[in-house]
Amino acid sequence: MKLIALVCVAALLVVPVARASEQHPSQAELEGEVMCPVCGTTLDQSSSPAAQQIKRAIAAWITAGHTKSEIKSALVAEYGESILAAPPRHGFGLLAWWLPIGGIVVAAVVVGLGAWRWSRAREPAPRAVQLDPAVERRLDDELRRFEG
Amino acid sequence: MARSARLTAQALAVAVVVGLLALLVWRVAHDDNTGVSQALDSGRHPTAPAFDLNRLDGRGRIDLATLRGKKPMVLDFWASWCVPCIQESKRLEAAQKRYGDQIAFIGVDTKDFSEDARRWQRKHGITYPSVHDGSGKVLAKWGGLPIPKIFFVSRSGKVVGELVVEEDLPRYLRQIAAS
Repeated sequence: MKLIALVCVAALLVVPVARASEQHPSQAELEGEVMCPVCGTTLDQSSSPAAQQIKRAIAAWITAGHTKSEIKSALVAEYGESILAAPPRHGFGLLAWWLPIGGIVVAAVVVGLGAWRWSRAREPAPRAVQLDPAVERRLDDELRRFEG
Repeated sequence: MARSARLTAQALAVAVVVGLLALLVWRVAHDDNTGVSQALDSGRHPTAPAFDLNRLDGRGRIDLATLRGKKPMVLDFWASWCVPCIQESKRLEAAQKRYGDQIAFIGVDTKDFSEDARRWQRKHGITYPSVHDGSGKVLAKWGGLPIPKIFFVSRSGKVVGELVVEEDLPRYLRQIAAS
């Protein structure tokens, strides 16, 4: 119950921030999500003329009130999908998002199964050895004599 | 049963590793180092890789394959952010005035904003048609960055050479005009 409440609170905090970021993106966050087409880094890591050109365009689009999705769509229309630092969340790009999660789930299942099998395969604790009644009687006598 | 399951899991793991290795080998083998520039450097004259791209001025498309056999071509890879491209394109503009009826001059605006590119053409008085290669996929087939890159293609579609030394421009133009 506490966990559900915690998730709800976290969602309430995250959703407005994400919406604000979509409606009013900042130059800095877009520069971190868009690639420089000639340097293989994000825009914020580059000062090449090609990167400067895109930074100027982003600044103009932000000033004009475009949303983050609109700006990214315009960039993709000019440069193709490779201009985005993260793969798109549709089509083949989805694979890049789900494959690591799938890998973690599969690894967790494998580790869980392994642990379960290992715990079941353990040798049971050795049971007490049943002595012959005659031997037991003799042992008791010996012990009594030894202690006596 | 447990043994066969373990063997299957091991075979699967080996298959995954082999698959990843194959992917790595494929990626290395198909790297960008197989462009026209590299072929010319090793003394080969490949057939010009075809492209079919939108014209920058919005007047349809240019399909390189349809020009093969009709006219020799000069291909100029440029971008509005590329400072040395200004001089090279101006030189080609001047050459077009002399050879325009014999040779097709085509610009390939690459990794660039089309609006900035159109402004750049107007500003520098470049009149030969250009296509827009925003993603740079066509540029990669021709050898990749850096730009400017200027190639000379014979009438039959073979790449005759790439401009390395400025002084070679008249020689290449005469060579492909006579092809």
